[in-house]
Amino acid sequence: MIRNLGFALVLSLSLFAGCSGDTGDEGFAGLAGLESKEDASSGTDRPYLQPDPGDRLTFPADFGPHPQHRIEWWYLTANLETEAGEPLGLQWTQFRQALEPRAANAPAPASTSWPLQAAWMAHGAVSWKGQHYFAEKLARGDIGHAGATALPLQVWLDNWRLSGNADNSRWQLQANGEDWSYDLTLSIEGAPVAHGEEGFSAKSASGEGSMYFSLVDIAISGEVRLDGEVLPVTGKGWFDREWSSQLLKTGQKGWDWFALHLDGGDKLMAFRLRDDSGSFLSGTWLPAGGDPVPLRPEQLNLKELERDNDVPVRWLLRIPDYQVELQLNVPPGDYLNRGLYPYWESPVSVSGSHTGEGYMELTGYKLR
Amino acid sequence: MTESLLAVRGLGKHFVSGNETVPVIGKLSFTLGQGQSLALTGRSGSGKSTLLNLLCGLERPDAGTIVICGEVFEAGGTAALRTAKAWSALRRQRIGVVFQEANLMPALSLLENVRFRARLAGRDPAKSEDWLTRLDIGDLAQRYPDEVSGGQRQRAALAMAFAMEPALILADEPTGSLDRHTSDDVTRVLFDLQARYGCGLILATHDAELAAGCQQHLDLGHSGAV
Amino acid sequence: MRALLSLSTFFFLPRALLSHYRRHPLQLVALGSMIVLATMLWTGVSHLTSQARASLDQSEQAVAERQQVVRSDGRALAVEDFVTLRLAGLCVMPWLEVTPDTGSRIVGIDPLAAHCFSVGAGASQALDQPLDGNPFVDIYSAASMSARESRLYLLTPEATQASDLPPAYRLKTFSTSPDTGELGDSFLLNLEALGVLVLLITALLLRSVYLLGLAQRRDSFALLHRFGVSPGRVQGWLVLEILVLALLCVVPGVWLGRWLAAGLGSGFGQALDGLFDIPLYAGQGQGWLVPVLVMLAVVVIACLGDLLLLRFRERFTLARPTLAAMATTLLVAGLVLAWLSPALLWVFVAVALVFAGAGWLTPAAVAHLAHWRAARSRDPLAQWRFRELAVLVRRLTLPLVALQFALAMVLAVQALVTTFEDTFDRWLAQRLEAAYYIEVPAGADGRKAAEWLTSQQAKVPGLQWHRVIRGQAQLEAQGNAGSQQVDVFTVAPVGSLIRAWNLLDTADEPWGALASGEGAMINEQLARRQRLDVGDSLYLTLGDQAQVVPVLGVYPDYGRPVGEVLLNAEFLPDDFNIRFESFSVTPGEFGIAPVTDALVEIWGVDALTFRDNSSIRELATGVFDQTFALTRAMTLLTLILAASALLMMGWVFFSTRVWYFRLLVVWGMQQREVAGQLLRLALMLTGGVAVLALPLGIWLTWVLVHRINPLAFGWSLPMAVYPIFWVELAILSLVIGVSIAALMRRQLGKPAIAPASASALNGGER
Repeated sequence: MIRNLGFALVLSLSLFAGCSGDTGDEGFAGLAGLESKEDASSGTDRPYLQPDPGDRLTFPADFGPHPQHRIEWWYLTANLETEAGEPLGLQWTQFRQALEPRAANAPAPASTSWPLQAAWMAHGAVSWKGQHYFAEKLARGDIGHAGATALPLQVWLDNWRLSGNADNSRWQLQANGEDWSYDLTLSIEGAPVAHGEEGFSAKSASGEGSMYFSLVDIAISGEVRLDGEVLPVTGKGWFDREWSSQLLKTGQKGWDWFALHLDGGDKLMAFRLRDDSGSFLSGTWLPAGGDPVPLRPEQLNLKELERDNDVPVRWLLRIPDYQVELQLNVPPGDYLNRGLYPYWESPVSVSGSHTGEGYMELTGYKLR
Repeated sequence: MTESLLAVRGLGKHFVSGNETVPVIGKLSFTLGQGQSLALTGRSGSGKSTLLNLLCGLERPDAGTIVICGEVFEAGGTAALRTAKAWSALRRQRIGVVFQEANLMPALSLLENVRFRARLAGRDPAKSEDWLTRLDIGDLAQRYPDEVSGGQRQRAALAMAFAMEPALILADEPTGSLDRHTSDDVTRVLFDLQARYGCGLILATHDAELAAGCQQHLDLGHSGAV
Repeated sequence: MRALLSLSTFFFLPRALLSHYRRHPLQLVALGSMIVLATMLWTGVSHLTSQARASLDQSEQAVAERQQVVRSDGRALAVEDFVTLRLAGLCVMPWLEVTPDTGSRIVGIDPLAAHCFSVGAGASQALDQPLDGNPFVDIYSAASMSARESRLYLLTPEATQASDLPPAYRLKTFSTSPDTGELGDSFLLNLEALGVLVLLITALLLRSVYLLGLAQRRDSFALLHRFGVSPGRVQGWLVLEILVLALLCVVPGVWLGRWLAAGLGSGFGQALDGLFDIPLYAGQGQGWLVPVLVMLAVVVIACLGDLLLLRFRERFTLARPTLAAMATTLLVAGLVLAWLSPALLWVFVAVALVFAGAGWLTPAAVAHLAHWRAARSRDPLAQWRFRELAVLVRRLTLPLVALQFALAMVLAVQALVTTFEDTFDRWLAQRLEAAYYIEVPAGADGRKAAEWLTSQQAKVPGLQWHRVIRGQAQLEAQGNAGSQQVDVFTVAPVGSLIRAWNLLDTADEPWGALASGEGAMINEQLARRQRLDVGDSLYLTLGDQAQVVPVLGVYPDYGRPVGEVLLNAEFLPDDFNIRFESFSVTPGEFGIAPVTDALVEIWGVDALTFRDNSSIRELATGVFDQTFALTRAMTLLTLILAASALLMMGWVFFSTRVWYFRLLVVWGMQQREVAGQLLRLALMLTGGVAVLALPLGIWLTWVLVHRINPLAFGWSLPMAVYPIFWVELAILSLVIGVSIAALMRRQLGKPAIAPASASALNGGER
């Protein structure tokens, strides 16, 4: 997942500029700036680390933060069901944006100096019966009220918190907004799935990329409170970890990302980076009981079928090599996360060669 | 020949236009006796008005001498300030000036105008009403200039001029803006009064008939001594 | 043939109309520059006012959101407290105030933490501040500064309730400078009234210049009429002409006005910034469209109003006495309404009526007076002078009325501004009576500190202090059954600090009586609301104890919206619920350090919350001085505009009149004497206007101070008059008169041309 890079950029720019500024053309104007900053910082003593195809994942350390990388996130989406059998979608994300790189083994600066090496942002959302609830939180790092640790897994910002037990098999997640909150228990089953080349996930034909792994078998139960109504829920989740220092190339406009649980037990992650000169497709096919298969760009075929207010809400996703031809449908409703940098995050239902459910994220459209 | 009221010797006036000196009046000499009348004629621009201005001290000559009411004014001679003062005193008490129109203060009634003029000249303002009656506009005494006809206004102007009991009246086309009938009327009154009160009169006009009523005639078309 | 004729008039008419301006380019320049200047002035004033209002609104919002979280144990806050509160889900923002070793105070904030302020309660523009060191910086920069003093506050939104807090914390109000309350609002309301007046004055000036041009074109209109051009057609072209001219001049005028406001306004902005300790960039105020449209409308109405209503006017031409009676009726109605009106709107209506009445009546009355004097005058010159004055007043009615209004306005604004300055000084003096203000920390005993200060009294020369205890009481309303809650403000000892207070109304020896506990004082708000006077009885319930005390005095509150009772703290019952406690201390010879050291020890706390009142006073006074200077500058500009309009009109008018002044020379008066007459005439004119502007200005001051302010804000400003300023204005008017006379004298020296034709004599000349 390559999400919300723009947010972090806007955030960092606003910090440097000292004002919230305007978000420009959906935040992408800052991407070129990122590259040039990369060049500038490469000359300093401690540059940002850049993932490359030779990098490998390390557990449990990679559940924790990577302070020498510019950006990273912890990302949970969940397709749940209430007792009455109504589908309920849910999101929790925490982002870290470095303003200054720091070696992984270097001590954090003292909180009393109110350091400004990293900014954190958290998003929480619940989608139910066409209603979409969203909240956003911001914090600076190294003060104590926002951060992450690998073991035991802790990712927190203010009173929102994801915390794991000693063997990292059971997590608790709490978050709340103005008129909603959730308190969930997550049972982690199965090992982390590395995307791309053993965790290095390319984001363009010329080799830029990120480190990316997912937990795809998560059983969830808990309570969601919406406008004072308490809803017991159960269902499954998808958890992503991704970090990098440079993801998008100049000219890339946005992305479409899908994570799908298919009813036969197969799972699929696919994304497309849109570009003026074409697009870059990638994904991972996770057959039931089999090993994950990285998908090459030419193996994937993604087509928009229908738009609603400029948002593509029906898609056709095909992987001919695996006889997969899926129609993805967004349920009625407005799933725009109206934060510092708006983007679309909605549950989808799957029909076609397989049935199932999942999540879709869209950025870089003219979203209102 | 009566005693001279006005004697003009070698009077000259020119205007400077760019580098050029344009003579308006050149070497003019004439005399006017007490109670006599003189008609000034000439084309427009021949200097009639300028001469009248020189004769009442509103303009200064470049050459020559003017002897008027016993006072001698020499071009460039006496100190300017004293000269101005002397001319002012003369205009105030001895020289009445009548223009073609707009001789009256618009904010004062006819009677107030006459009184004002008489008072300035140091005459008894009480006689002012008589003057208006004498000029047949006694019933208009309380009217304002804009409320009476052009002829009546000129009659009022004459009443003002005579109310100051002048030695000399300078009249610049006094009937120029009146119709023939009214003009004759006003002219007749002017000559009557002039004869009755024995003051001198210089009348600038291009009306030959009017000029003929004067005892002397000076045509500025060809300037020179009379 | 007809077609040919209409075709020729189509081309010929505009050229014929415009030929007037070709022959009199100065008039076109005058009209154009008047529109430009008027637009500039009004745009400047209104732009400034709207900018000031926006700034004030913004800062009020900022102030309104200020609430802070403090530790219940009174200890200073640290980063850990911030983390604890945030982890508990509370929205708090760090506010690190740092006084660097050199330079002025800096505030470090965390824009990321401030994000939660904008959730729920709507966007919080107030916290969206540039971090440029004026005074805000990122908290990291503030924390890394080498500082003499540094203190952390944790701000929380207004929505935060005490019940949301973890047990070891409590809520407290947060303000970094004294809250001016409605003082600023009141000032702005008056500034807006000023804007309306400026608009009126500019309209009058425009109309005067335009009508003058129209009068001079009357002959050519008559000629056109003779050529068969219908009057309607001519009017159509005139409307088009003025619209084009207005558009051409209004746009640069608005631009200039904004430029003027930007130049002056940076000062104004800073004034309000400093006041609320927040740099305010209120944006550009209104856009272009509104001022352009307003000025276009004003130009069209001012210039063509009667043209459009021509028929109406013909039918309703009023005789002069009827007009005078109408104007008098308007004036009297306005005066009565302003005096008795129960509502703000009606006071504004009354002001409009009085100005309309005065505007109509003044020239008529002056002309009438001049005629009356002329009729009684034995000296023909004096008679002539008064008659000329009457003509002058009638011919220059509009610019004269404009000058009168401008003078009245300047007079009122001067009085108002001086009053505000004065009030502000007194307000500061009342609130900052001592050199220092020290808060009693939660849980500390104020009595121990009072005992210590009492023991010091004899040892420290110049030490003055009192203890302040605030709380609430129930006040039984007289006559009806209900009771209301009032704030209680108590001091002890009743010493020299509080005795310096200014009282609005007082019994004999009020402070002595207060010192011996024999009564109470009340604020203006309470006196007004409860209709309480000195000597009335207050039925107070303090704690559980009911008391009846007489009112000893009424003190001004300058906009405090709540009723308040001032009592002697020594006579408070034991069960009185103390909500807030502080000390006001003027430390005398040894400075504040020994006092604070002793209090820190007595109360057993780390640090004291104390405020140096002199620096606050300095800041506040400086800030208001700037604002007031600005207001004065704007009104002076209006006056200059009105004066130059009168000069210009006077000059044009005299050029039509110069023949008659020359007649005086022909009749034997010396140039010097005529010039003297002209001078006397001009001085009578402008001096008269000044004299007539005086009552109008004083009345306007009274309305602003005694009617509008109490109705709008529930408190009155003291009304003061400043005769020295009257004299200054009178001198200024006379200077305008002298200038007119000087201009006239120049014309007198040139040869005059007799009025062109007999038709020029049409009554307008007398």
